[in-house]
Amino acid sequence: MRIALYGSKMADTAPGGSGTRSGSKHTTTPADNYYLARRRTLQVVVSSLLTEAGFESAEKAAVETLTEMLQSYISEIGRSAKSYCEHTARTQPTLSDIVVTLVEMGFNVETLPAYAKRSQRMVITAPPVTNQPVTPKALTAGQNKPHPSHIPGYFPEFPDPHTYIKTPTYREPVSDYQVLREKAASQRRDVERALTRFMAKTGETQSLFKDDVSTFPLIAARPFTVPYLTALLPSELEMQQMEETDSSEQDDQTDTENLPLHISTDLKKRMLQYYSRTPPCLAAGMGRRI
Amino acid sequence: MNRKKGDKGFESPRPYKLTHQVVCINNINFQRKSVVGYVELTIFPTVANLNRIKLNSKQCRIYRVRVNDLEAAFIYNDPTLEVCHHESKQRNLNYFSNAYAAAVSAVDPDAGNGELCIKVPSELWKHVDELKVLKVHINFSLDQPKGGLHFVVPNMEGSMAERGAHVFSCGYQNSTRFWFPCVDSYSELCTWKLEYTVDAAMVAVSNGDLVETVYTHDMRKKTFHYMLAIPTAASNISLAIGPFEILVDPYMHEVTHFCLPQLLPLLKHTTSYLHEVFEFYEEILTCRYPYSCFKTVFIDEAYVEVAAYASMSIFSTNLLHSAMIIDETPLTRRCLAQALAQQFFGCFISRMSWSDEWVLKGISGYIYGLWMKKTFGVNEYRHWIKQELDQIVAYELKTGGVLLHPIFGGGKEKDNPASHLHFSIKHPHTLSWEYYTMFQCKAHLVMRLIENRISMEFMLQVFNKLLSLASTASSQKFQSHMWSQMLVSTSGFLKSISNVSGKDIQPLIKQWVDQSGVVKFYGSFAFNRKRNVLELEIKQDYTSPGTQKYVGPLKVTVQELDGSFNHTLQIEENSLKHDIPCHSKSRRNKKKKIPLMNGEEVDMDLSAMDADSPLLWIRIDPDMSVLRKVEFEQSDFMWQYQLRYERDVVAQEEAILALEKFPTPASRLALTDILEQEQCFYRVRMLACFCLAKIANSMVSTWTGPPAMKSLFTRMFCCKTCPNIVKTNNFMNFQSYFLQKTMPVAMALLRDVHNLCPKEVLMFILDLIKYNDNRKNKFSDNYYRAELIDALANSVTPAVSVNNEVRTLDNLNPDVRLILEEITRFLNMEKLLPSYRHTITVSCLKAIRVLQKNGHVPSDPALFKSYAEYGHFVDVRIAALEAVVDYTKVDRSYEELQWLLTMVQNDPVPYIRHKILDMLTKNPPFTKNMESPLCNEALVDQLWKLMNSGTSHDWRLRCGAVDLYFTLFGLSRPSCLPLPELGLVLNLKEKKAVLNPTIIPESVANNQEPVNTTNNHGQPVVFQNTFSNSQEEEEIDMDTVHDSQAFIYHHLNMLERPSTPGKEQSSGEVTMHPVSAAPLSVFSKESNSSKHSDHHHHHHHEHKKKKKKHKHKHKHKHKHDSKEKEKEPFAFSNSPASARSIRSPSLSD
Repeated sequence: MRIALYGSKMADTAPGGSGTRSGSKHTTTPADNYYLARRRTLQVVVSSLLTEAGFESAEKAAVETLTEMLQSYISEIGRSAKSYCEHTARTQPTLSDIVVTLVEMGFNVETLPAYAKRSQRMVITAPPVTNQPVTPKALTAGQNKPHPSHIPGYFPEFPDPHTYIKTPTYREPVSDYQVLREKAASQRRDVERALTRFMAKTGETQSLFKDDVSTFPLIAARPFTVPYLTALLPSELEMQQMEETDSSEQDDQTDTENLPLHISTDLKKRMLQYYSRTPPCLAAGMGRRI
Repeated sequence: MNRKKGDKGFESPRPYKLTHQVVCINNINFQRKSVVGYVELTIFPTVANLNRIKLNSKQCRIYRVRVNDLEAAFIYNDPTLEVCHHESKQRNLNYFSNAYAAAVSAVDPDAGNGELCIKVPSELWKHVDELKVLKVHINFSLDQPKGGLHFVVPNMEGSMAERGAHVFSCGYQNSTRFWFPCVDSYSELCTWKLEYTVDAAMVAVSNGDLVETVYTHDMRKKTFHYMLAIPTAASNISLAIGPFEILVDPYMHEVTHFCLPQLLPLLKHTTSYLHEVFEFYEEILTCRYPYSCFKTVFIDEAYVEVAAYASMSIFSTNLLHSAMIIDETPLTRRCLAQALAQQFFGCFISRMSWSDEWVLKGISGYIYGLWMKKTFGVNEYRHWIKQELDQIVAYELKTGGVLLHPIFGGGKEKDNPASHLHFSIKHPHTLSWEYYTMFQCKAHLVMRLIENRISMEFMLQVFNKLLSLASTASSQKFQSHMWSQMLVSTSGFLKSISNVSGKDIQPLIKQWVDQSGVVKFYGSFAFNRKRNVLELEIKQDYTSPGTQKYVGPLKVTVQELDGSFNHTLQIEENSLKHDIPCHSKSRRNKKKKIPLMNGEEVDMDLSAMDADSPLLWIRIDPDMSVLRKVEFEQSDFMWQYQLRYERDVVAQEEAILALEKFPTPASRLALTDILEQEQCFYRVRMLACFCLAKIANSMVSTWTGPPAMKSLFTRMFCCKTCPNIVKTNNFMNFQSYFLQKTMPVAMALLRDVHNLCPKEVLMFILDLIKYNDNRKNKFSDNYYRAELIDALANSVTPAVSVNNEVRTLDNLNPDVRLILEEITRFLNMEKLLPSYRHTITVSCLKAIRVLQKNGHVPSDPALFKSYAEYGHFVDVRIAALEAVVDYTKVDRSYEELQWLLTMVQNDPVPYIRHKILDMLTKNPPFTKNMESPLCNEALVDQLWKLMNSGTSHDWRLRCGAVDLYFTLFGLSRPSCLPLPELGLVLNLKEKKAVLNPTIIPESVANNQEPVNTTNNHGQPVVFQNTFSNSQEEEEIDMDTVHDSQAFIYHHLNMLERPSTPGKEQSSGEVTMHPVSAAPLSVFSKESNSSKHSDHHHHHHHEHKKKKKKHKHKHKHKHKHDSKEKEKEPFAFSNSPASARSIRSPSLSD
């Protein structure tokens, strides 16, 4: 019997019979796996039906075609049943949905129980159930809190504790003035450099050296339609600073005061501004001239 | 002449008096940049036979002229369009300047002339004879004006209002004729009705009170009606239209501010100070602001930063700033104060003639100075006076003098008061811009001298008198003859002074006003111990150009051990030596305090001084009461004492400059002490920084300790715990802010023994940049960062180059690499977070040019050219252009020069065009005595064309082109031109020599040749230039002098002959204008010998006698002419540019 051999071959050639994807080398995703498994099961079914019908062997292409047909048929049943169930404002299809579907598809439902109980039928073992893919551990931290008694059970569960529980950190912040200033300065400089390099890479540039355009790339000068606006209006960053310094009137500084505690937030703000920057003129519909 | 005139009161040069003018602009099209409107002038004839009315008009296309509703014929002739005939091969500047002055004279409203000549219809002659009112109605339009009105139309989507398109009037001196026909003179006053119909989203701002705004029926447009009841000269009329945001001044409701969209917050801040200026002026002048309202308009692409007009001022929008900007604030306030001062003197009070301009500029400059003194303090004021004085002195010594009150009486060449200059000073429009700037500077300095002489109290009384006379006159609504009281003249002003103060200031006026030049003193002294006398020797240089001899009192202040003593020396013809007795008998008294001039008593370490002499320091003319330059010799310790203990900032600054020559540890100490002294004026401390750097460089081999100023800077501005890190910025204290900005710039000038900037200094500056942190600062640090870049640029020294190798990245000096890294980052960051006025970009561009020039980076103008394009902020463009100009000079690039000159002709912004010429003049690619591959015939032709006809729409630009031409080629024929053909030269030279030996050159004669030939051959010549025009004017002159009936008849004839529509331009009807060589030569003599007289004045008999001898010739010619006229219809003298301006009446609409 060639059909028995068939099954084992399938592992090598599936899915879709393309044969170009070799399973061993290819990394498969869970979705791919399901697909493969379904396909194999269907093939087994088709093969057994063929055997039942008295075939001794079948061409690969024939089996494939039949599998395809079966798959389409079942899919159509599913799709149609879903539509019927949704039509009646349900989410789960019931038996009657399936029946109506089958009727609609021109299938004689009455014959079904008889066919199911036919004597010469072959029973196929259920495909091995693979265990549910586990959600990566990293995203769950600790035990989700159970509902307190006053919350009904059907309410959603509490989210992971780390999403709402304050986590104290234990590292001592660096408070050495010099280090902080150093850090702030180099951080800012790095951001600025990275950003300007990025801009220079992505846009037009000018260079001071004809033979080398990458070492000191200058973002190309582009004329404005309304040049005085950018030149005169304070940038948003400056406006923010104004507000901040206005609210906390500047006092005489000492060294330890004005520690750059907001470095990170400040930088973030700047970065955001760089990227989502709409010059005031753009905002008002006065873009650069092209 | 003028003074005589003043004594008799004002005599109008016109045979009529203008009393009222309506200007109505019906339509302004921003897309096409065009204006359509009409004017209506109400005039009263003052003579019975008034038959021609001359008005000023340039650029305007005139459709139709009606006088009292009757169509009137008119001709339009503007000789300034093309100064020299286009065929002429003449290329020498002397010739041009004469021709240009003649052309300007020919249309000068102050001489009763104008470009537009309207013939009074004969039906009205009777009416005129009864001296009844005439209403002259002129329909005109302006299409793409190149001067006078400036359109700013950003190229983007949206309606004109959304784009921020605007238009405003601008120009140098009287330029109103560029945008509507008028009598464009400061001395013809009238009341005004101004109407502007604009898009409903736009605002029209103009002079006087806004009476009403009326919407049109479709509600899409509205008309602004302005009334100006105070008699005002046309030259003081202005206009600005745009989608302005409007701010009513919260302190003074009659003051309104206008700015372009989105700038309102800046406007609020910028103008919040203006009311104080108002209060100040009103208080010192004890006179209310003369107009009922005041408007400030801030516009883009301004012609000048500040332009004052009647009851409104137009400012550059770039003066606006937010509260975070430190450096711009005082500058903007100064501009506001200047504009306001000119409202009183300049707008409300106008001048009688050009030679009285100095009074107005002087007074407005002077009261502005008083405001400065009050606002910024005496130190700032004195510093400013010193600065202005130095400037005027340097300019006069360079060019040979600035004359405040030119008198043009004689008309002889040798009397030309400005023969040392390459332009005529007879008209404001022929003046070099730099000269005019210096003129204003000198004017206010002279006012200060007058104040010194008669006291401030009297001075203010005089001003008050002028103002109250004027306001009485201005309220005489129907007595227009009274209005001349609103005009100031030199004589009237001097009379007021003598009436009020009872003092005779004639010598002072003679010295500084009627005469040009400054005084140059050289002083030295010796102390005679036996006689206890200071022997002071004061020499003068009065032979160099720009100098004059000073005779009179001179104050000398001597600081002795026992105190400070003033001595007034009489400077006389031959006395050089002056003995000044000393007061201090003492050897030094130990531990005794030394009294200073201001009464303060201080302890001094006297160990440095000469044991035998009680003299600490000596100052000549400490009050700057002479326009002078003093070079005084005293020993270094005396300068040091002067720097440390003299309380006058001017003395301190002088001491600092003198100490540059004494690089000693003592000087170092004195300078360092000043730097540290917080009571010391910040500008002095800033100056001390630079001096210290120079001294340190001179002392480099013996210098001990860290680089100059480093420890000082560390102590003042760096953290206590970590001295290598600068404190986070806090600019609350402006004095230390300015010092913090300046010190690194000065430090970067330090050089080690190898003449390189010390590594330590460079790293220090780089650290300042690295650790600069402005987050907690209330103020913007853009100027500070810009100066740090300037410091980096200052640290650059010429690259050591081996065999002229090509500059590439690989052989880049590591220090330069660090500098370049910073510049690149700064320049790129500017694209993301632009700084105020792009100061950082400006500094970066300058620094890059420095690197190029020093051979670290390949010299290449491409980068600068991209930044110089239209569309960048003006400061950036100027900086970039400056670099291109410099490149042009250093690399002798013809291509870049062409690029610059193209920009001069085509750039949309007048200021840029002007500035390029200015920069080329200051940093010329070559000069007249230099061999240069750039100097060729094509360039000569190009520049000639530029000043001859290419710049007729902008006086300032034309004068700028003249300046450049002068710098490049000098006064005579440029050396790069091929030699003229010899035969011709001789031939004509002969003629020339007979007629006019004083005037130039063979080339003049030579180059008249083509003209002559054409004429001799009887080929048709269209009147197209000064040449023929002036000639015609000459004829008029002759005739008016001698009532040549034939000629008048001829003139009337041609006016009465309205040309047939469409035909007057056709080539077949051009006048035959046969001019023989002889009259031409007569012309050249005429124009030179009597160039300053009022040729066009009908009732001017002054030159009768002088010209009599030419009469015959002329008469002969006129007859000839009039005969010709019978045959040939008259052709209007026009250049192509104005061709469209001539329309016969019947052609209207």
